[in-house]
Amino acid sequence: MNNEFEPTILAFVCNWCTYTAADLAGTSRMVQQPNLRLVRMMCTGMVDPKYIVKSLLSGADGVLVSGCHPGDCHYINGNYKARRRVKLLNEILPQFGIEKERVKLTWVGASEGNEFAATVNNFINEIRELGPMEACSMAVV
Amino acid sequence: MRKQYGALVVGAGIGGIRAALDLAVTGHKVALIDRRPTHGGILSQLDHQFPSDHCGMCKMLPLMSRDSSSQFCLRKGLFHDNIDIMLSTEVAELEGEPGKFFVSLSTKSPLIDPTKCVSCGKCAEVCPVRVPSEFNAGLTERTAVYLPVPHAIPNHYVLDLDNCQRCWKCHDACPTGAIDLKFNERVDFHILVVDRDPAVETMLKDILNELNFPLHCVQTGQAAVDMLASDDRIRLVLVGMNINDMDAERVLTRSLELNADIPVVVMAETSQISTAAAMVTQGAREYLVKPLEAKRFVPWLDKLYMRIMSDTTEDLEVGAVVLAGGFECYNPVVDPEGGEDIWSYGHPGVLTAVEFERLLSGTGPTGGRLLHPGDNSEVRKIAWIQCVGSRDVKKNADFCSGICCMFSIKEAVLAKKATNGAVETTIFYMDMRTSGKGYQRYRNKAEHEKGVRLVRSRPHSVIPVNDGMDLKVEYMTDAGELVSETYDMVVLAAGARPPGGMEKFALTMGLDLNEWGFAQMQPYASERTSRLGVFAAGSFGEPRDISESVIQASAAAQAASRIIKVYDVLAGIESEPEPEYPDVSREPPRILVAVCTSCPTLEQTVDLEALSRKMSAVHSVCKVISVGATCTGEGWAEIEKGAAEFKPNRVLIGACMPYAYIPRLKELGRSIGLNPALMDVVDIYTPTFVLESEGQAEKEVFAALSMAVARLQGADPVPVPVTVDVARSALVVGGGLAGMTASMAIADQGYGVCLVESEEELGGMAMRLHTQLDGSDPHKFMEELIGQVEKHPNIKVLKDSRVAISRGSAGRFRSAIAGPQGVFPLEHGVSILATGGHETKVYESGLCVHKSVMTHLALEEQLATGVLDAGALTGVAMIQCWRSRDEDRTYCSRVCCPEMLKNVLTLKKRNPDLPIYVFYRDIMVQGFMETYYTQARKAGAIFIHYEPDNKPKVAFEDGKPVITALDPVLNAEVEIRADILSLSSGLEPNDVEDLLEVFGVEVNEDGFYQEADFKWRPVDFLKQGIYMCGAAHSPRRMDETVASAKAAAQRALRILSTEKIARETVVASVRHSLCSLCQACVAACPYGARVVDLEEGKIIVDEILCQGCGACAAVCPNSATILKGFHDGPMMSVIDAALEQPA
Repeated sequence: MNNEFEPTILAFVCNWCTYTAADLAGTSRMVQQPNLRLVRMMCTGMVDPKYIVKSLLSGADGVLVSGCHPGDCHYINGNYKARRRVKLLNEILPQFGIEKERVKLTWVGASEGNEFAATVNNFINEIRELGPMEACSMAVV
Repeated sequence: MRKQYGALVVGAGIGGIRAALDLAVTGHKVALIDRRPTHGGILSQLDHQFPSDHCGMCKMLPLMSRDSSSQFCLRKGLFHDNIDIMLSTEVAELEGEPGKFFVSLSTKSPLIDPTKCVSCGKCAEVCPVRVPSEFNAGLTERTAVYLPVPHAIPNHYVLDLDNCQRCWKCHDACPTGAIDLKFNERVDFHILVVDRDPAVETMLKDILNELNFPLHCVQTGQAAVDMLASDDRIRLVLVGMNINDMDAERVLTRSLELNADIPVVVMAETSQISTAAAMVTQGAREYLVKPLEAKRFVPWLDKLYMRIMSDTTEDLEVGAVVLAGGFECYNPVVDPEGGEDIWSYGHPGVLTAVEFERLLSGTGPTGGRLLHPGDNSEVRKIAWIQCVGSRDVKKNADFCSGICCMFSIKEAVLAKKATNGAVETTIFYMDMRTSGKGYQRYRNKAEHEKGVRLVRSRPHSVIPVNDGMDLKVEYMTDAGELVSETYDMVVLAAGARPPGGMEKFALTMGLDLNEWGFAQMQPYASERTSRLGVFAAGSFGEPRDISESVIQASAAAQAASRIIKVYDVLAGIESEPEPEYPDVSREPPRILVAVCTSCPTLEQTVDLEALSRKMSAVHSVCKVISVGATCTGEGWAEIEKGAAEFKPNRVLIGACMPYAYIPRLKELGRSIGLNPALMDVVDIYTPTFVLESEGQAEKEVFAALSMAVARLQGADPVPVPVTVDVARSALVVGGGLAGMTASMAIADQGYGVCLVESEEELGGMAMRLHTQLDGSDPHKFMEELIGQVEKHPNIKVLKDSRVAISRGSAGRFRSAIAGPQGVFPLEHGVSILATGGHETKVYESGLCVHKSVMTHLALEEQLATGVLDAGALTGVAMIQCWRSRDEDRTYCSRVCCPEMLKNVLTLKKRNPDLPIYVFYRDIMVQGFMETYYTQARKAGAIFIHYEPDNKPKVAFEDGKPVITALDPVLNAEVEIRADILSLSSGLEPNDVEDLLEVFGVEVNEDGFYQEADFKWRPVDFLKQGIYMCGAAHSPRRMDETVASAKAAAQRALRILSTEKIARETVVASVRHSLCSLCQACVAACPYGARVVDLEEGKIIVDEILCQGCGACAAVCPNSATILKGFHDGPMMSVIDAALEQPA
């Protein structure tokens, strides 16, 4: 495994919970990994799977989707919709040579700044283990 | 001129926020103040609320005109166009009358200029002070210069002067010069000392030399007064009590006459303290006790100087006042009786409930891991002890705090969750009061599914054992057996007490307090204090949980808005018209990028010139400018200048804490004529603080900016808003107490109401009540209310009628009402469902068979009408929870325990020797109702507990009931022979199956209406424009019913108070040419905002109901449905920008 490899992570986070947690992690100066790009969405329920696929194809090594805890969605049930989509996507991705571990869904509540930092760190470590995304350079996709 | 507001809301906790928002959305200007430096009250400390065990506070934010308020986590911050929030602020004076109150507010300065503070934390790093942190309930320490709440927005450091050691290290460490300790202004701060003692003068001259204050010393009062009159540089007067020619009081009065704002400090001998204290009430700032010691005097004077120089006062004129001061938690250390610390509270393993909650919080001392505060070991066994400081006559707390039972259960569940079920949890309780909507279910789940152990007993003490490693809890079982158990941790469910300084506050506000120190409230109007025009929200009048606090707050807002309306408080004050922005949709995007360079960390880690060069190369960026400090006025002016020069049609600002800029972007939009939807602020500072490696921060900053550029390129310039004309009248279904109260509340504000009642008379269930525990007459109240409703010119009452059909959406419903005169159509803007409930019919235990068996309500009626002679009775038995809280009805009916107490007290009053036996499971009397339970026990009623699996058995001998049950105290079967058996039959909601279809609403599993959110939107249906109240919402007593009805009315007024409802910025729309009518979006919409119009062959979006969640856009297979601001195109560019490596 290449020790120099620093994965680039795209995180689709919901405005109400995870974005708040990320902001808290930032303002509390919790050490944060580089190459994490946050895309704020109103709700994880609006994260179209094509955004995730597009991110992977455009060079992201991993995509994190993170929203409110089950039952806490500001828009009632958007996070359940996200869960279904990510689950399906995880089924499909390996058929295209993309490890399903590259797409991950988590719940991080607004007050859980530390949880957000831990989630991101774990995810980055997992992706570092996996190595760079190679599928997009292959002809399959 | 005094600044004018519709209302002043005191206390920015959950109650204050709800009341302020409710008033603000109906168009009233609100001043929201809090004496703490943060908003959110106790909820800023609590991360988890049942039943979801997370937070959902953001659901309180307005659903309509969302653009006028903040749209992010409410615990972080709150903005609203109509709300001015003033923190660290208290009411100094309140004068005037309803409709025209004069308020003066005093604000403590944080001593750190919030426009300069970049929250870098350098000041806290050097501060040598350590005091217990309020935010972490004392579990951690903080410095004197600190962040009050880590997650607040805007989040600036504040200087706690009381604990400051005056080392001034923070001042030197601050990179932006935000800490202003007024060093240079000292030479202009002239101090006048009036004292005959030459020693005082020498000493003061000596020490004040060092502090640089110019000093003027005189020996006589006359000289002092003359000097004050002639020299206007004097900023402080120190007056001794030993002057000869006039009293110190006289000097004080004369000084204040000459300059009403001058601070006068009295220097008194020990023997003169009482006179000095009296002078403080006459206007002196404070008093000092002689002899003055430099060690204490110098810091005192220095701090006083900084307070005088920095603190501000403001005078307001308001129409009404809402008090939402909340409560304080009982402190187990402070025992007014001076008793021993029986709970071993000093032990690190003994925590209060709030401390335990902090321990579980991610921002708490352990980062959310459940570790013992003593030695950071894993916790294995935790005990909760209920009613610490509540239900305790000896501690002047003959009331139930009402919140502790549920928060202890929740904490036990959270502890289980935090340890994956490993921790053993036990709750010791007296009565488990689960009498709210869904509470009993939550308890059952905790007990039976999560394995939380509930023990009905009260441990007498907590004693450290095993060298203080463990805690021994001893308790007595019902059978008299003494049990001893050891725990690692004990959590004390410390109850609610009036907020600190309540007596002084009550004096300032002119309020009466009740015997427990809470505000005295009026019967049938639990939002009304003893002073007209001053209302109580949240738990100010009685300890309440979140959902009841929220209801109470809306009720208080309703009362306040009525005053504002009646007195026409804001007449003549025109609200600013919505600005119209030029349409730039046809122009190519030209983006002005402003980078804030106020914080030196950016310059240190990022090559600004290179960044600026790279950003200029990004497509559609017309100019990159560096701005000194965007958060200051000058910085803002620079951006305005840049905008004028380069004429951009998008503006991007790179700064810190983007949330804080939301209100300012609107101002910028007004001044440069650009829609704020075309502006954005991104955080470019966080990477510079947390990333160490070379060049990395620059990469991150570039990515953040270019992602924002990509988003702005595709931002939708908002077209002219679509509006709905509001039909400004209400339909109220149900003519009981709730329906009538809601009708009155709406009609009094000048809107028409159609009140539909299915029975032939108004009144409903409340008409069956004859007496109340507080001695008030419910019958008289109801009759007056019915009279008012029937005579009200704005209310049309339709009896013996029902709603046949209701179509439309918020602001414009069309319904048909069928009555004896036929069907007639109605247009209305809102609907309120107050369909009420009824006494449950139980045909058991001889009810309806034997005359001696009756329900509590029937007994009350027989006692009130004199049918039953209490003197002739020889014994009465009562059984509580008859078919409540079991498999038939998994909820507590809430009204039966007070009803039972009412009957017990009436019977005992008429026949003190009458034996009364009450079989009960838990006595559910929250709040001050507890005192009647105490009275009933004192009067000699015997309460016998029973378990649901061993219910009392009822047999009959000669038509008289014989009750056999297990008495847990005697541990034996008892047989009670009584003349009368009275059953608590409970309360059921009325059958509303037809209405569910008519209005498109839902009920929960118990048949009560399903609200949008149990805690945060308790009287709203998910479908906008329809509200619920009264017993159809949940079992409620009369006061609570009235509060919920007023709350529902206030929510409804939100819609009725506007002529048009405008569309939001972020809503979904359909591109019909791409739409294949698959209707996937209709099913995906959680708000029912989409319908398919079969005639037109189109999907129609109701833009008022749409909340902009984007679920529809994600399911649309053709990208026909789009969400403004989140189109596929811009989203794809954002993704590209995020992944692009800078050239």
